[in-house]
Amino acid sequence: MSAGSARPAAPAPEVVLAADGLTKHFPVRARGRALLSRTRPSLRAVDDVSLTLRRGQVTALVGESGSGKSTVARLLAQLHQQTAGSIRLHGEPVSARGGRRFRAYSRRVQLIFQDPFASLNPVHTVRYHLTRALKIHGRAGESRKDLEDALADLLTRVRLTPPERYLDKFPHELSGGQRQRVAIARALGADPEVLLADEPVSMLDVSIRLGVLNLLRDLKERLHLAILYITHDIASARYFADDTVVMYAGQVVEGGDSETVTQRPAHPYTQLLIDSAPDPDRLAGADSGTREAGTGEPPSLITPPPGCRFHPRCPHAMARCRTEAPPPLAIGDSPGHFAACWLYDEARQP
Amino acid sequence: MAVPTTELAATAPQPAPVSPGRRRRLRFAANPKAATGLVILGGFVLLAIIGPWIAPHDPSLRGTDLLQPPSAAHWFGTTHLGQDIFSQVLAGTRSVVVVGFVAGIVSTALSILVGVTSGYLSGAGGESLSALSNVFLVIPALPLIVIIASALPGTDNLTIALVIGLTSWAWGARVLRAQTLSLRRRDYVQAARATGESTWRIILFEIMPNLAAVIASGFISTVIFAVTSEITLAFIGVGDTSTWNWGTILFWAQSQQALAQGAWWWFVPAGLAIALLGTALSLVNFGIDELVSPRLRGNGGTTARTEDGHRVRMRVGFTPVLGSGRKDDPARRQRGSTAASVSERGADHARSRASRPAVRDDAVLEIRGLDVDYGLGDAAVHAVRDVHLTLRRGEVLGLAGESGSGKSTLAYGLTRLLPPPGVVAGGEVLYHPERGEPVDVLRMSPAQLRRFRWAETAIVFQGAMNSLNPVHKVSTQLMDVIKAHDPTSSRADRRDRARELLALVGIAEDRLDSYPHQLSGGMRQRVMIGMALALQPRVVIMDEPTTALDVVIQRQILRQLTELRERLGFSVLFITHDLSLLVEFSDRIAVMYGGRIVEQAASADLYRRALHPYSDGLLHSFPALRGPRRELTGIPGSPPDLRAMPTGCAFHPRCPRAFEPCAQRVPVLGMPRARQGEDRAGDDRAGNDRAGGDHAVACWLHPVQDTRF
Amino acid sequence: MSYLLKRIAFYLFTAWAAITINFFVPRLIPGDPVQALITKARGQLTAEAVQSLYVLFGLDSEASLLDQYVRYLGQLLRGDLGLSFTFFPSPVAEVIGDSLPWTLGLVGITTVVGFLIGTGLGTVAGWRRGSWVDLVIPVTTFLSSIPYFWLGLIAITLLTGPGSFFPASGAHDTGLVPSWDWEFVGSVLQHGLLPAATILISCMSGWILSMRNMMVTVAAEDYVTVAHAKGLSERRVMVSYAARNALLPNVSGLALSLGFIVGGTLLVEIVFSYPGLGLQLFQAVGAKDYPLMQGIFLIITLSVLLANFLADVAYLVLDPRTRREG
Repeated sequence: MSAGSARPAAPAPEVVLAADGLTKHFPVRARGRALLSRTRPSLRAVDDVSLTLRRGQVTALVGESGSGKSTVARLLAQLHQQTAGSIRLHGEPVSARGGRRFRAYSRRVQLIFQDPFASLNPVHTVRYHLTRALKIHGRAGESRKDLEDALADLLTRVRLTPPERYLDKFPHELSGGQRQRVAIARALGADPEVLLADEPVSMLDVSIRLGVLNLLRDLKERLHLAILYITHDIASARYFADDTVVMYAGQVVEGGDSETVTQRPAHPYTQLLIDSAPDPDRLAGADSGTREAGTGEPPSLITPPPGCRFHPRCPHAMARCRTEAPPPLAIGDSPGHFAACWLYDEARQP
Repeated sequence: MAVPTTELAATAPQPAPVSPGRRRRLRFAANPKAATGLVILGGFVLLAIIGPWIAPHDPSLRGTDLLQPPSAAHWFGTTHLGQDIFSQVLAGTRSVVVVGFVAGIVSTALSILVGVTSGYLSGAGGESLSALSNVFLVIPALPLIVIIASALPGTDNLTIALVIGLTSWAWGARVLRAQTLSLRRRDYVQAARATGESTWRIILFEIMPNLAAVIASGFISTVIFAVTSEITLAFIGVGDTSTWNWGTILFWAQSQQALAQGAWWWFVPAGLAIALLGTALSLVNFGIDELVSPRLRGNGGTTARTEDGHRVRMRVGFTPVLGSGRKDDPARRQRGSTAASVSERGADHARSRASRPAVRDDAVLEIRGLDVDYGLGDAAVHAVRDVHLTLRRGEVLGLAGESGSGKSTLAYGLTRLLPPPGVVAGGEVLYHPERGEPVDVLRMSPAQLRRFRWAETAIVFQGAMNSLNPVHKVSTQLMDVIKAHDPTSSRADRRDRARELLALVGIAEDRLDSYPHQLSGGMRQRVMIGMALALQPRVVIMDEPTTALDVVIQRQILRQLTELRERLGFSVLFITHDLSLLVEFSDRIAVMYGGRIVEQAASADLYRRALHPYSDGLLHSFPALRGPRRELTGIPGSPPDLRAMPTGCAFHPRCPRAFEPCAQRVPVLGMPRARQGEDRAGDDRAGNDRAGGDHAVACWLHPVQDTRF
Repeated sequence: MSYLLKRIAFYLFTAWAAITINFFVPRLIPGDPVQALITKARGQLTAEAVQSLYVLFGLDSEASLLDQYVRYLGQLLRGDLGLSFTFFPSPVAEVIGDSLPWTLGLVGITTVVGFLIGTGLGTVAGWRRGSWVDLVIPVTTFLSSIPYFWLGLIAITLLTGPGSFFPASGAHDTGLVPSWDWEFVGSVLQHGLLPAATILISCMSGWILSMRNMMVTVAAEDYVTVAHAKGLSERRVMVSYAARNALLPNVSGLALSLGFIVGGTLLVEIVFSYPGLGLQLFQAVGAKDYPLMQGIFLIITLSVLLANFLADVAYLVLDPRTRREG
């Protein structure tokens, strides 16, 4: 297993893309009484999220639906403009407003979508999709032959071989796994440094998910890509990612290297998430149901609870949790492991 | 004026645009409605071109035969001035067709411009364009056209066409805007943006091709509207009454009191021509509609014939059962059709069972040799093949499989809820009531089936989002099922029961009168589970009940379900793609692949010693949360396509251990010879003997001794 | 509530737009249409009428466009739509007031009844596909392609004439004086039957087709399958689950197509010489009676807006999802 169980303390790879205090509020329509108040209501999809993507590494962003994880991907891809916070590519602040600058940015940061049935246009062939990706980013070469070579090269990279069998197919003629490979090939068409993969396997059949994940890992190693892997499946984060960041209700609650986060979860929400995941080793009846935290549902993001957003569901909630939002606090059991939870405050300042 | 129904349909939610390209065009031409429409339309266009030349007379020329009925000299008769009506109709075709198409083009161009732009551009610009088209939509078009046309100095055909075009674009714009709004949110448009495509290229090459059918349908609707408007205007005398079109013929007929003089020939031909042209255009539009939403297609998809000439009525909610007995028992086939009551048939089964190995007496639901097809005869796709499965009292039986494995088809087939063109092609589904003889669900009449449903077997479907009727309160939907099965119950009793059911699944009483959209996804699925328990059924079938939910909610619901089952003692058939969930949650597991059950065993047994390479591969496709991190590979290849199933074992093309017989012969499900003794001796969790001995597999690696499954 | 308020604002805006169009269209006519009209009327116009025509066409040059517009709005508020010269010297408002009840009675009632019957038939046609009900489709397609007025012509030819029960024209026996007695009401019903049937047949077919299509779509929804699985009676599944949901797009369709339908139905009045707005419009066009034409346009538009609003309210009642509290 190459991806780092207990990585040595070698210098961390170079940071490619970094987000700092990323925030996105979507305006929502005011209704009824809210019309009378001055403040315009908004959906606080992402609040103050910071994360870094490193060259040749996979960072997983884990959360449930509505946690804001997909919005983070779209912010990083600059499909949405952030409300606040900054994104830096190799330390340079990114501003991708306007056609040309966006295009230049998208050459280096590419997004893969969740649903390969939806992310390819049904009226276009594989050839069209890939040719556009190459042409937009000026990689189609001079001659027709250059283009054909580039197309064949892309398909070979995602192991759709022989390429000529797939080039002139329409999306509906391909299986789910093949479609997702075409989508990956399109992203590679820009020769990017960063790949943002938004739940790239959740719509695929179970038996072919690992094939796609293994392909992505292989690409990461050969092309030194920085990959953001967005998922709701924390077990796959453990399998695939070097680092894992957990989001809840638009905020980051925990982060660290994947093995530590999944084996010694610090935040009560991460613990709940791991306890809830299906686990064949825990056979029927063996489930003692000790943790009764599994009640309640994620809060409204229009009027989130004050303090820690998890406190209404948290079995360890204290008075402080209801008023003050916890900052990321270091856990200390492994470098870089942190949790935004007041439980770990004493550990820091006795 | 015709209500443009096709556009109504276009505003409704539709499945994703179907496959494009030449094949689509071919299918369109092959559609009988579209083809008929196109042929008639072609005829009119031809007449529009050559009509004035082939007309036997000058349409305005006065003759001596005044107001004559049709004759050899004047096929359609003459007017009060002796003009030849046939020539007038011919000459009028051109102006009708020209005005129709010019107005259609103008209006479609405007509607694309306004609709697509306002749909793609967000913000104030888009909103105000949309408001503009809505304003134009509610202002009655005809009176508006009348005041505009009568204010204009010249009212030649072109002016009329322009006025109609300029006043009729709003509907198309509205439809296109709605479509564009939904397309804009599609992933492929977002993906094109993320790739770096420019806005105009996205509109032209990503969005527009997907709107082609809607645009065509809108164009045709406008042509219909323009033709009717032009004729109407001419009929009421707006415009130049001396140029010929079908409306001016009617205008003169009306103003010269043709009716009072009994000159029916004066207005009948023009009117029929209008109706024919309108019908042709509508037919083309039906063709487009059916192309876009396949549900409308298939000559009803509702009655069809089997090879042997039986008429099969496809009814939503009552999947037809072909044949009338077990395939291997011709004697039963005869009796099956005459047997009258359920209990008699049950007795039949009891007798026929004697010849077969005894079934454990704790069976609740017993599926034998079930075949489920989509379509009939040679076109049939076999989705479920020869499935044997027994659900026992109080157990959770897990059914695992991927897309195309037939697991959902099995569930819908055995309950006869499979929509057309699904048919049950054979087999038996025996329900063992608490008292009395077993009954075959597949041989029940609709009335019997209705009584049986929900009272004995309830179902929880995959999409809790769509399983509840959006327009009724939760209480209504809980109470109507009680009323249907117990019409004598009082309203107050039913309401109490509904309250009880919600309490059972942990939902507060004050949610009783909520509408589904006011509940979260998790709550909706709880309501569905509560509803399933309303009549205390002995069997609950669950088709991916938690797939759409987050893991935390999934865990809450499963925990609750376990509790309820322990309390109420029903059996569960739990269908999911998530084998890891089943291992933890169910007592026994059946794994399906390519329409067949390939392995069946107690959960622990399957997890520890999966025999079929597919089960084994599937188990190793779930990364573990605990224990050492291992390199996993998944299974190469893709799940099979039902329309092109591999020969022999359906799994052999993906199987790492395939050998010589696999591609030739289908392996039979049964207990492997080598393992029998070992299994018997093997430890059995829970300490009873019901799980251990039942490990069955369909694989040539494990030759079968006992085929009692 | 906010939904209704928004709709009301929209209709007010639309009404204003229609009024503005009505103000500007006559001003687009080049030349001096008033002179042409005076010539045509052969000196039967009084000075007062001529003056009002100049105002209508914006040719009284002393006033600026804005002044004219304000004055026009003021006139409308007072219910002053100018003078008709077909029915000179009656004011347009009075002429319209005489014919409006007939149109409301005929067109209003038949549109609603046609919608209800058509939706009902469409429900059955969509639910029982594959049976004889499918024959409805080609027939309705053909019927919906026929202009309403032509169907009226055919009806008159075939069903009226000497000795027939159906009168060929008018709204009541000419000898009778309008009153609420049996004789008059009976006569009105007798005269209304044929035009009403014509409108019904024509406008029903559209609703049959669209409701059928919606039923086919809705029948595949999960909640309908659940309703079957619950063992509910066929009737309850069809009405309370499938039709109840399929009805929603049809009701919003009704709101949107009222404008189209009303235009078509008005013409039936012409054929049957039914003394409603349609017949008036026909006469106004023939006589180039601009004030009357415009008055009719305005009144029809406002009625359609009102009907639209009622359809919106109906939708609100039918679909709980638009009923948001808060």
